Formats: sequence, structure tokens, C-alpha cells
Amino acid sequence: MVLEKIFSHGRKERQVTENIEKHIQLLCRACGIFKDALEKNDRNLLWEVIELERDADAVRRDVIAHIYEGAFLPYIRPDLCKFVEIVDEVFDLLKDIAFLGLECKLPEPLREESIRVALLNFRMCELLLISFQAMLRGEDLREKILGIRIYEKKIDDIKLNLFKDAEQVPVANFWAGKMLSDLLTGLCGISDIIEDASDHLQIINVSTR
Amino acid sequence: MKIQEFMTTKIEFIDAGKSVYDAVERMVDRRIRSVVVRFSNKEGDYGVLTSRDIVFKVFAKGIDPKKVKVSEIASKPVACIDKNMDFDDAATTMERSNIARLFVCDEGKIIGLISLLDVMAAELVTRAREDHGS
Repeated sequence: MVLEKIFSHGRKERQVTENIEKHIQLLCRACGIFKDALEKNDRNLLWEVIELERDADAVRRDVIAHIYEGAFLPYIRPDLCKFVEIVDEVFDLLKDIAFLGLECKLPEPLREESIRVALLNFRMCELLLISFQAMLRGEDLREKILGIRIYEKKIDDIKLNLFKDAEQVPVANFWAGKMLSDLLTGLCGISDIIEDASDHLQIINVSTR
Repeated sequence: MKIQEFMTTKIEFIDAGKSVYDAVERMVDRRIRSVVVRFSNKEGDYGVLTSRDIVFKVFAKGIDPKKVKVSEIASKPVACIDKNMDFDDAATTMERSNIARLFVCDEGKIIGLISLLDVMAAELVTRAREDHGS
């Protein structure tokens, strides 16, 4: 299998794939903690998400550095970098909404559905990790990518209702409303970026066959 | 996969005394295929009105939907499933009762809905997560 050869040979290559896996594992952890933070109204957990984003930044830098030190054939390097950058975008958005969560509390009518979105985001991250591991084993990703798309569609459905409900929520002033809107937009936007990451994974998978 | 993780929470309620025309208006406007009919203020006293009921029992017979009350053609009681059950249980219940939608209930209160399409989507996700737990 071409893929297995590409991804398993060489110390540098292994370091890169291990780090990418670690990066996605960190993302799963961050999404899980963010969901718990919403469920328990726990500010400390939101700070933990922000800390994890910093850890993830370090991992991302390691991955890029190793790739440009000569890991992998040149043609695949930009795609691997791009994939890591997309995953990092999820971290950035997660950090932004964690900061917003510190500033504004979710109104009760929106709480339950927001937690559902956070849970589905977490499930999508898990599936992204499963997809990456499957790619390393040289497996077909079709079913896994479809699973990610189904989760994304589900979040889109919830998003529509969430924003309808949000219209009815009274806010103290413009900035309170903006922060709440940004929080909801960010929370529902995470799935779009994870879907982009999974699409890119599929591109890498196909291009290495 | 647990039902509550993947159920649809977009549920529309309508009072039993309203006309079928009111229900049609709401269903077309919200793009939904069924509404939950509230027979009284008592928790658990629900029925369901589907687009199939409306088309077959009213339109196909040339009856004026403004002259028929929702309560006259709604099915009652609704089929419920516990939120902690799996999609496999839901599929079995749907097959046994020959129904296309199941309501998800929590202490008698309807909190969600699962359709045949949701069951199929859940099956695809479960397959995608195979060997990793679902």
C-alpha cells in the first residue's frame, strides 16, 4: 500500500504523524472540556480550554518544523501543513468562544441546545481522529467522512432553531447581545471547520494512492 | 448510539381544537411533516397529526380543511421511547408498531422526535465509528 509506505517509514515521518495525532487528540480533549464547561457552568474548565489551545500551538509548530526539515516527499508537504492549519483554526475558534463564555453566561432557554452542539462537535473531533488513524492504516475513509458530514448537517439543523430561540432572549445592551451572538456563531461554526479538515484529509488520502 | 444525542428537537405543537387548515399552514411554513397535538394541559395527553393523515383523510376526500378539527383526524396516543435508549431499540419499536416516527419522552414530556431518516443517519455514523465504540 502506497499510503502505508508513505506514512510509516522514517523517523521524521513518524514524528510528524504522531504529532498530528496528538494535535487531534488535544482537540478532542478541548471540545470535551468545553462541553463539560457549558454543562457545569464551570469557568475553570473554560480556562483549561484556553490552556489547551496554547499546547496545541506548540504541537502545530513542531509538525510544521519537522515537515520542512525534510519529512515526506515534497509534493505531500503542503497538504499536510494545510491539514494541521485547519485543525488549528478549530482551536482558535474554540479559544475565542471559551473567552466569550467567560464573559457571558448562556441564557437558560439556549443552554440545552448549545450543550448538544458542543457534544456533537466533540463527536466530530473523535471521528476526525478515527479517520486520521484509519488513513495511517491505509483504509478507505468514505464512511468516516460521511459520518462527519452527517454530524455537520445535524448541527446545522440545531443552529437554525438555536438562533430563532435566541431572538426571544432579552439582552442587557448591544455588547451583551453581540457577545452572545458571537458565542453561538462560534459554537455552531466549529463543525464547518472540522468538516473542512475531514475533506482535506480525504484529499491527502486520495493524492497518496 | 443514544437517541438523545441525535434526535430532532424541532417539534411543533398545536391545540386539538384548531382546524386542519391551521395545521397545514404551520407545517408548510416550518417545512415539517408532523405536529404534536395537545389535547389538554395535562402532561402526556398528546396525539400526532402527520402530512399523510391530512392528505389521505381530508384532501383526498375533498373535505374543506377549515371545517375539520385537528382532534378529529389525529392519532392518539403517540408512540414514545425513552431518551436513554439506543437507535437499535428505536428501529425495533418502529418496525413492530409499523410507524415512521417515534417521540422521545422524558417523564411523560415530549422532548424530541426521531424519524426513519434519523435512524438511517445514526446507522451510518455508528458504522463510521466502528471498532471505536459509538
